[in-house]
This record gives sequence, C-alpha cells and structure tokens, in this order.
Amino acid sequence: MAADAETARRKTAAEALARPPVPQAAGDGSAYPPAPPVPSPAAAHDPMSYTYTTDLAAIRAVVHRYAIKAGLSEARAIDLVLAVSEVAANTVRHAKSPGSLQIWYDTKEIVCQIQDEGTITDPLAGHRRPSLRASGGHGLWIVNEVCDRVEIASDQTGTTIRLHMDLHRF
Amino acid sequence: MDLLTVSVTARESAGEAYTLVEIVGEADVTNTDDLRRLLEAEVSQQPRTMIVDLSGLRFMDSSALHALLRVNRSMDRQGGVLALVSPQPAVAKILRLTTADRLIPVFDSVAEAAAG
Repeated sequence: MAADAETARRKTAAEALARPPVPQAAGDGSAYPPAPPVPSPAAAHDPMSYTYTTDLAAIRAVVHRYAIKAGLSEARAIDLVLAVSEVAANTVRHAKSPGSLQIWYDTKEIVCQIQDEGTITDPLAGHRRPSLRASGGHGLWIVNEVCDRVEIASDQTGTTIRLHMDLHRF
Repeated sequence: MDLLTVSVTARESAGEAYTLVEIVGEADVTNTDDLRRLLEAEVSQQPRTMIVDLSGLRFMDSSALHALLRVNRSMDRQGGVLALVSPQPAVAKILRLTTADRLIPVFDSVAEAAAG
C-alpha cells in the first residue's frame, strides 16, 4: 500500500517533469510546469545530497567524483561538471537562498538534480545559441549541448533541473 | 579570491613587448568580477599584445568566458591582440563549444603566442 502510494507519487513527479522540447509559457508568468518534490529512484546506487550556497568548486569536485565512479569517461565527466556548475551558477546569480544537488546513478545513467528557489521565466531559455557578443545567457544553452537529456520544471516556488548522462555513450 | 590567482608580468619577445597574464585555479561566477577587474586594469595599460596563460586554470564557466570575450573586444577596439595559451580539457571544451576559440586565437605555448 505504502509502496503503491510511493510509486504513484513518483509517477506524478516524472509526468510533471516530462515536457515538450520547447516549453510553452504558463499563465502565471513562469515558463515551466510546477516543480514537484522528486525522490531519487530507490534502485539507484549510492545517492547523495548536497546543499550549496557559493561553494561551486566543492560541487564540481563532488560531481566529478560521482561521474567517474558511475562509469562516465573523463571527457563526459568534464561535460557533466560544466553543466552542473552552470546550473548552480544560476542559483548564485538569481536565487536568494541555497540550492540543493542530488546525484544518483544506476547501470544506465547518472542523474544530477539541482533545485533552488529561483524561477525561470523565459520559456526558450537554453534553446537558442547566444551570440558571443551577448553579455550572458550561455549557461543553459551549454547545459543542453553537453547533457544527453535535460528536464526543467519551474514555477513561482522554485526550479528543479535534472541532467542525465548515459553511461554507455562515449 | 582563494579559488583563483592571477599574476601579471611584462615580457618581451624579439623586441616586442607583451603582457603575460597567468590565471591559476578555477574561474566561475563567484570570482568573475575580480577576474574582470584585474584583466580590465591590464587592458587599460594599452598593451599591443596580451597573452593569457590558461595552463593552470582547471575550470572556467560561461561567466568567466564572458569576461575573456569582453577583454577581447576591448583589445580589438584599441588595436591590440589577445591570445590564449594551453587550455586544460575542461577549459578547452567551453572555448570549443561556444566557438570562442575561433574568435580568440589559442596557442600551445607562450613562446608560440608571443611569436604570433
């Protein structure tokens, strides 16, 4: 019974995170569906959780260690580190409170989930290649370029971003 | 700036003066303002050539990249040249991904960069 409820809750969360490649602006001014609390999959190896404020170097070290442990190549571990750092940098820039990072992996993929209380208001954020003359805006674009899959859920209460890297791709 | 150290020296190669900037550590949004201030102070000295040695830089995010791109524009405007040297894999990746490495020349060594 409890297990069923847990499964149902996870399914709802997964459905809420699933979105079309180019999201539509929601009526409330946020760009994405509401971010649900998302538990890490029970089957994942060695899940970890980390709260950060401005210590991005520590975040990068943790992500790199887990990426290698999960079986990513060095080059792909570098990609994941860059992606997580860019997302966490947005927390430092825009959110007024700490962010949290969760990492888990199974035999197929490693997932990094970053949550903070910021809101993404641009539905096309990360989908356009910014000009090199622009003063910003490369962060989410880079994330979409280097990760195998990116899920974003954002509303007035916060943003959840999940970055997926397949373990069997080089 | 615990995470990042920047040192600047005036050098000369075949009679041509250049400014060598060595960036060591990790450059991200938490220290970009410091990095930009330091680089802009050097740009304001109007060097003809500024060479930034990245061999000790383990990481660079998009905000630090923007600082470099801004320096490149300033150098351009005043008729100078910015060159990058020896980016480590993580730094080389963001330069390549954003095509910044097509805008700013990247060399394998300071000697090569100084020779132009």
